Amino acid sequence: MNLYLTLAFRYLGGRKLRTALTTLAIVFGVMVIFGMNTYMPTFIKTFQTQAKAAAGQVDLTITQKTGEAFDPTVLNQIRAVDGVTVATGSLERLINLPANYVDGNPGTPDRITAVILKGIVPQEARQMIAYNIVEGRFLEEGDTRAAVITRSLAREFGIGLGDTLTLPTAIGLSDLTVVGILPEQILPGNEVVLVSLAEAQRLTNMPGKINIVDANLDSMEEARRNEIQQNVLKAIGDAYKIGALEAGSEILTNIRNAQSIFNLMGFLALVMGGFIIFNTFRTIIAERRRDIGMLRALGASRRTIRWLILTEGLIQGVIGTALGLVLGYLFGAFTLNLVTPMMQEFLNITVSTPAISPALVLTSILLGVGITVLSGLIPANSATRITPLEALRPSLGNVSFKRIAGISFWAGVVLLTIAVGFLFTGSMEWLGLGALLFVGAIILMAPALVNPISILFASLLTLLFARDGTAQLAEGNLSRQPGRATVTASTTMIALAVVVMMAGVLSSVSLTFIHVMEKSLGSDYLIMPPTLAVWGSNTGAAPQLADDLRRVPGVTVVSTLRFAGTQMKDIAVGILGIEPQSYRELDLLSFTRGDPEAVYRAMENERVMIINGVLAAAAGIQPGDEVEVLTPMGKQTYRVAAVATDYLNAKTTTAYISQRFIEEDFGREEDIFFQINVAPDADRQAVESAFSAILKDYPQFKLVDGKKYVEENARLFDAVFLGMYVLAAFLAIPSLIAMVNTLAIGVIERTREIGMLRAVGAIRRQVRRMILSEALILSAIGTAFGILAGLYMGYMGVKAFEAMGYPMDYIFPGSGILAAVAIGILFGALAAVVPARQAARLDVVEALRYE
Amino acid sequence: MSNPIVSTQSLTKVYGQGAAAVRALDGVNLTIQPGEFVAVMGPSGCGKSTLLHLIGGLDRPTSGTVWLDGQDLTQLNDDQVTAIRRKKMGFIFQFFNLIPVLNALENAALPMILDGMRPAEARKRAQEWLERVGLGHRLTHRPSELSGGEQQRVAIARALASDPALILADEPTGNLDSRASEEIAGLLRQISSTWERTILMVTHDARIAAYADRIVFLKDGKIVDETVLEHRNGEQAEMVADKMKEIGD
Ligand SMILES: Nc1ncnc2c1ncn2[C@@H]1O[C@H](COP(=O)(O)OP(=O)(O)OP(=O)(O)O)[C@@H](O)[C@H]1O
Ligand SMILES: [Mg+2]
Repeated sequence: MNLYLTLAFRYLGGRKLRTALTTLAIVFGVMVIFGMNTYMPTFIKTFQTQAKAAAGQVDLTITQKTGEAFDPTVLNQIRAVDGVTVATGSLERLINLPANYVDGNPGTPDRITAVILKGIVPQEARQMIAYNIVEGRFLEEGDTRAAVITRSLAREFGIGLGDTLTLPTAIGLSDLTVVGILPEQILPGNEVVLVSLAEAQRLTNMPGKINIVDANLDSMEEARRNEIQQNVLKAIGDAYKIGALEAGSEILTNIRNAQSIFNLMGFLALVMGGFIIFNTFRTIIAERRRDIGMLRALGASRRTIRWLILTEGLIQGVIGTALGLVLGYLFGAFTLNLVTPMMQEFLNITVSTPAISPALVLTSILLGVGITVLSGLIPANSATRITPLEALRPSLGNVSFKRIAGISFWAGVVLLTIAVGFLFTGSMEWLGLGALLFVGAIILMAPALVNPISILFASLLTLLFARDGTAQLAEGNLSRQPGRATVTASTTMIALAVVVMMAGVLSSVSLTFIHVMEKSLGSDYLIMPPTLAVWGSNTGAAPQLADDLRRVPGVTVVSTLRFAGTQMKDIAVGILGIEPQSYRELDLLSFTRGDPEAVYRAMENERVMIINGVLAAAAGIQPGDEVEVLTPMGKQTYRVAAVATDYLNAKTTTAYISQRFIEEDFGREEDIFFQINVAPDADRQAVESAFSAILKDYPQFKLVDGKKYVEENARLFDAVFLGMYVLAAFLAIPSLIAMVNTLAIGVIERTREIGMLRAVGAIRRQVRRMILSEALILSAIGTAFGILAGLYMGYMGVKAFEAMGYPMDYIFPGSGILAAVAIGILFGALAAVVPARQAARLDVVEALRYE
Repeated sequence: MSNPIVSTQSLTKVYGQGAAAVRALDGVNLTIQPGEFVAVMGPSGCGKSTLLHLIGGLDRPTSGTVWLDGQDLTQLNDDQVTAIRRKKMGFIFQFFNLIPVLNALENAALPMILDGMRPAEARKRAQEWLERVGLGHRLTHRPSELSGGEQQRVAIARALASDPALILADEPTGNLDSRASEEIAGLLRQISSTWERTILMVTHDARIAAYADRIVFLKDGKIVDETVLEHRNGEQAEMVADKMKEIGD
């Protein structure tokens, strides 16, 4: 085997635990990045296929930018464009099916969770697409309650030609007779149920509306087709776009946000891994000064030495990355398994197994291996400066990392100032950069601060221990070697910074969210559609349902939500129509800006909207701004009056307007979510059974006890946060062990010196105390800096969430700091126990001969 | 007379500056012929190790020159000196001779592998030399599993295997008891007589120095005396010890 590899493997193998722990950091970083990026796009893709209507084989598909329905008069404008041969309008709507709707068996999840109801004009549609009927007939003009479905859908439902297909619709459960069967659906995406346009308009409660225009063109030539497309768009105006309907694009923003948070986390983990490796290599080189000197004496060139060190890094990088990739995949699959039930419940989608993209594998490998090798570079370079003489002359253990404390200290101060300045930018990117600068600043400043701080702590320890000079000795040892002290202390710092940061961010996030949740879902009962937050893909109910609910004895308030999709400043936005009166009564929104009373009042009669933080951040709008909103009837101007959010929509770009205007501007009267309060003395059982009876015709809705729902969600939150803490431990433990390691090495390196101390009369207890004091001083320094860094990074994390628009209250992580102090002292003492015993037991004669 | 292997001219080394300056070597002129076995003796701190380091290209002189096999080491850059160490010199030191993670065979083969020789070939030669120094049965032992004397033999095998022009040894027996010391000294003698290698050895042990062809006495950084031995098998140890006493006073 190659000399580099032989040596690298032998050295790594000689320190198995240390190797494993340093590699762990890389494993972890790669795991998060690879796992998340493998599984997130899969999720997004599934989501998109689900949301996108199956695009037909037509030349041109035109929809409203908002995704809303519009008036068929547009058709004439399109037909009039030169080059358009035929154009037909249809109305398409995704119908989410309740759980176990198809097979009625709770044991197995349904293969089909949603269908697309498509209303067409039969004659025109057949001109555009050659529908291949395998059984029965196609739809005909004047058909009522007739449907054409695929063979695969028929099989799923266990029905055939002439049988009845029952679907949950806006007007309750509706029966359709199957008159024709199409071939099996092969392409991915939802199954389509074809009905006549009039039928679709009736079932979706959208009389006289269409939402898609399909057209064929007279040319196959690319340039000509583009020209025709441009002319079509010109003719119908910029409220329309070429392309199929996309429901739920507002939630995609949220998923992408999550993805960048995870990427940031993974990257931070990798940077930390790099830092741990950097520290380990510095110790490795201090340890092996003699070996390296010997190699140099025997004729190894500087380049050879550099490669020897880098090869070790490379091996750790490669192994760590490989493990990270495998674990990342498993982790992704595991998470997927964990969230699948949640996805099915809240979003009504099933995510397929993740697909691995070669580009992602490559990126992960480059990041994992790259960062490891990069971290090894500086230590490797300093190793090349070791002279052959170091092997030959018994020297007194000077660590060769000389630092110009002056320059690096002031550079650190500058970085620190910049980092703190970034806190005020409120921008995600700057905050992230600030965190890196902050850590860098502390590392730069640490060596200069080691002296004063160790003197301070030494005097504290003197008070603690009797005045036998051991604390001073320890302090002296540290300030003589600020380089080594910094290495050890900064490892502790990183570990504890993570603990404090996580505590800060997590407690802030969880408390804020639970607060918002209790507020916005705190009604007695909730009636929920199959998918929450992706409102556009739900089949709601005509106002009749709400009226029926209000008539149930004991009910005091029924507040409903109506939904319409739109665009503001080219950003997909979900518009929620609320009843200002009942929203005020139930106090469902958490306001961050604006006066609730005034806003709710203004909404009743004016085009006034409340936006949530995510939208405010994404579109850069503020209370007081006037915004243009795309509606099926053209553009409308709304005044933004407040920023507020509720729990379900906190993560998606959302605006709230009154139901009066969602009807006027968007033509929506369909209720998709109900929040109900009952009188305190109401007979709950009677109320619940009355609700159930009413909802029988609307199987798409689920009746939920509000209090229970909040509790359930809070529990879910707790589980997620527990997971986060485990992740934090994952990050912290390797660096804590690295600290124990560096400390132990410090003692071993000074075996001879300790032997001398014993020879000149230090008793065992004094030696033990000296080592213990040293460890405690080091961990105290590390803990102090770690807490500082953690507080900054935690605050930054909260600011980052705020910058993305989530409502956040910063909560000072008091318990996190206590935990950090406890961990710091515990590990500091732990790190000292073994070396201190060893040092105390040292045979004086042996120690003096040691070299 | 053939060209000398080593030749130094007014070799001077000063450590430190100003008042703290130490003149470790002061204008040393030393010439070593091919095949010679030269011992350097002198009281502690007289500059023996410094001389060896300068000749071995491990350190640079303050002034003066070192010619090695026709090349002026002081004119070469680090990579070039390193290459010369690899190809033309073999080192035996008192401590830390071996790389702890490599076994005896690998340690002995190291300079040749560093020089780019095929590993199989390097191992074959290393093994031959380990057998010659009597370590054929310890090939796969790590340094920590060898006695001090055995470790020194591995270092000797390593110094010889790459067939260097000059072998430099600094207190090769300093860490050993007297019996092991005499064995190593005998081995060095054999290297010189049987295998005709050039050796420059630093020692303060008269019994060991008495195995050399010639002894150079150093004091306060200067060569103060020189003796050519007749017997070269340790028998003249007492005479050497007397000389040392003289110089020490
Ligand atoms: N790196 C150094 N810095 C300063 N002075 C040094 C250094 N190395 C050696 N010296 C000084 O140079 C002088 C010669 O040192 P050298 O190591 O050559 O002595 P030596 O003859 O080998 O002694 P010993 O027999 O004890 O090994 C000594 O006075 C020593 O203190
Ligand atoms: Mg010496």
